[in-house]
Amino acid sequence: MAISPLPPQSPSTATAASDSAVKFRAAQSSANPQGNTSSPLITHSTDRELTEQLNDDVRHKYIKDKKLGEGTYAVVYLGHLRADASSFVAIKKIKVNAEYKDGLSMDAIREVKYLQELSHPNIIALHDVFSSKDQNLNLVLEYLPRGDLEMLIKDGNIHYGAADVKAWMGMLARGVWFCHENFILHRDIKPNNLLIATDGEVKLADFGLARSFADPYLNMTHQVITRWYRPPELLYGARQYSGAVDIWSMGMVFAELLLRVPFVAGNSDLDQISKVCEAFGTPTEDNWPGVTRLPNYIPADKNHIVPIQGRDFFFRQFPTAGPVGADLLMSMCTLDPRKRSTARQVLQHTWWFTEPRPTNKEDLPKKSDGIQKMGNDLTRRGGDIDDNTFKNAARQLDFNAKH
Amino acid sequence: MPPSRESMQNRGDEDEVCPVCKSSRYLNPDMQFLINPECYHKMCESCVDRIFSSGPANCPVAGCHKTLRKNRFRKQTFEDINVEREVDIRRRVMQILNRREEEFDSKRAWDDFLEQREEIIANLVHGTDVAKTEADLQKYAQENMRSIRANQALEAQEASSFQARQTEEQELARLRREAVRQEYENERRELLAGREDVLSRLAAGRPGDAATIAREGQKVLLKKSSARRSEEDRIRQKQAALRNSDARKAGQAGITAADKAGDAGDTGLIKGLKRIKTPEPEKPYDPFGGMVPDKRDYYTLRDFYPSSYLDPIRQDTRMQAGGYDLREYYSRTLLEAFAGLGCFIDEEVSEREAANTNTVATEGAAIAAASTGPAGSA
Repeated sequence: MAISPLPPQSPSTATAASDSAVKFRAAQSSANPQGNTSSPLITHSTDRELTEQLNDDVRHKYIKDKKLGEGTYAVVYLGHLRADASSFVAIKKIKVNAEYKDGLSMDAIREVKYLQELSHPNIIALHDVFSSKDQNLNLVLEYLPRGDLEMLIKDGNIHYGAADVKAWMGMLARGVWFCHENFILHRDIKPNNLLIATDGEVKLADFGLARSFADPYLNMTHQVITRWYRPPELLYGARQYSGAVDIWSMGMVFAELLLRVPFVAGNSDLDQISKVCEAFGTPTEDNWPGVTRLPNYIPADKNHIVPIQGRDFFFRQFPTAGPVGADLLMSMCTLDPRKRSTARQVLQHTWWFTEPRPTNKEDLPKKSDGIQKMGNDLTRRGGDIDDNTFKNAARQLDFNAKH
Repeated sequence: MPPSRESMQNRGDEDEVCPVCKSSRYLNPDMQFLINPECYHKMCESCVDRIFSSGPANCPVAGCHKTLRKNRFRKQTFEDINVEREVDIRRRVMQILNRREEEFDSKRAWDDFLEQREEIIANLVHGTDVAKTEADLQKYAQENMRSIRANQALEAQEASSFQARQTEEQELARLRREAVRQEYENERRELLAGREDVLSRLAAGRPGDAATIAREGQKVLLKKSSARRSEEDRIRQKQAALRNSDARKAGQAGITAADKAGDAGDTGLIKGLKRIKTPEPEKPYDPFGGMVPDKRDYYTLRDFYPSSYLDPIRQDTRMQAGGYDLREYYSRTLLEAFAGLGCFIDEEVSEREAANTNTVATEGAAIAAASTGPAGSA
């Protein structure tokens, strides 16, 4: 990608393995093919395809240790480099699914396509891709043993404050900004897709729903993003949208970090729309020109129109963020996607410079037993709400209480 | 060296005579002797008042030409004037050379420092090399003013916290005694009350109930005492926890102060001090994590580009309402048009090979692809 300034983060120091195919080929072209003693791994017949050879080299660089998690879509193993037993990786093996008889699942293709382009500290690194026997696709991903943000939000024993939230949001915003800067929509931002590395860095993971954007004559699906984090334009069925959808999800994650329960948690898409309207105000032609022309627009009840919530509503709901933080949250949760902040505007907000200063990533609160969680996170299919643990918590939020 | 006064010390109190004015204790029972650490010559209070009230003057003892000031005169602590002098010197040197063990690299360095300090003290006491030693000491004191002062503050703090701990412990012991006494008293009172209760119930009840009432009374007492005990345990645990946290706080304060202490590293006089690294000042938070937003080398982005291809979109309110933004399209198109300019893969590859640390599989593929050409033609 043109503006990726960072070097690839591959942990692979095993130069011998990846070069062996090349050497092999070179040796083949020279007079004496038997003289190739420098690559002991290559014991196959000489007429094998070069691509197969390369694939084997990559495969041999890693050793699978144990299974971390299994879902309907993928199995995740803990692995390490053959050359260095202390450098861990997560190997995500995509299952050959009955649904996709003729090829690979879309999620796997998207994940490989976009992750191999993106190299940023706040985006999970894809080190290698190889296929194992019976043409299974294996993604070698960065090993992130500290679990995810959802785990921290739910754990009542963990206490965190405004500075910690600011640090997490900063890392999330940087990751999202980098995706958008490279014209990739993530389309599934939620706390359990935000994994935490050993040093506390938050990494955007699960690019199974990602796609590139900004093509004017290509419709996109509106059936993306986990419901609680889905912006109103997608709920109304918009087929052309922009990076603003990810910003809404980010705003929801921000609110969830502050409240420690999902802010707007609907049981169905319709319920989600009504909850969003109740929380942030009813979309009308005045505050969102053209909203009535969106495909799945549902006319609001004339007697029950909630006015757009102002700054003081956000400040009252989220006192921990402070007035400046509430302002940022409001700019991320604007109903009209054109008025919503872009990722760059989010990062340029003054909140990052007001007190308290974001916690250093090493000092952020953390849990140690996150390996299992990573296994579960990586095997999940995009867009699903994985369990119902939040169901009761969400009901406690009563938006009518303010009247 | 001060003059020897053994002859005087052997005499009784009654006959003690001021060496300056020759008045004796016999005539003046309130007589107090004072010394001055300049020369350690002893004289009585009235002499000091008489001679030095109008400003500094020479020592009245014959042959001693030291200039003395009144405010330096003080009472003698030790009978032996030599001990008195050594203690003074020791105190002064210790105040200057007040490095602490945690400031040294190793135990060995610390021991060396202690030895060196003793040597300096001995030099000053016995008058060997006084001028040079003094000069060294003064130089060190000037150079390490800050660390000396910090260590002094630390010492004072330790002393005061020790004091505080002592009083606290005493207070706690007193409270414990009080509590135990109270407890005993309560128990006794309850026992009596219980007994009385049982008696009154026995008096009121029918004859058959006697055994049951007695048993019940016993049970009630037991229950009460066990409840009380658990309550007391709880309070005691709380107190212990409180004490611990206080102690920890004190410890932390000490550590931070020690961190702040040193300034200069190795000075001429003392060897083996730990290198003190000053913490780098915290950089301001960068929300973009070191990257520059909107950095475009080859083009500038405009807000509007006329194009009939895009005109229908500009009119499509439905697309606009969904958040579709043509500026993103402009920016992407221009980025893709100019992507790769200024990237010189040859140079990058050769650089990477020179470094020869990280080889990625895709790179291997690239080289392989390059080498298949000649291989195929060969």
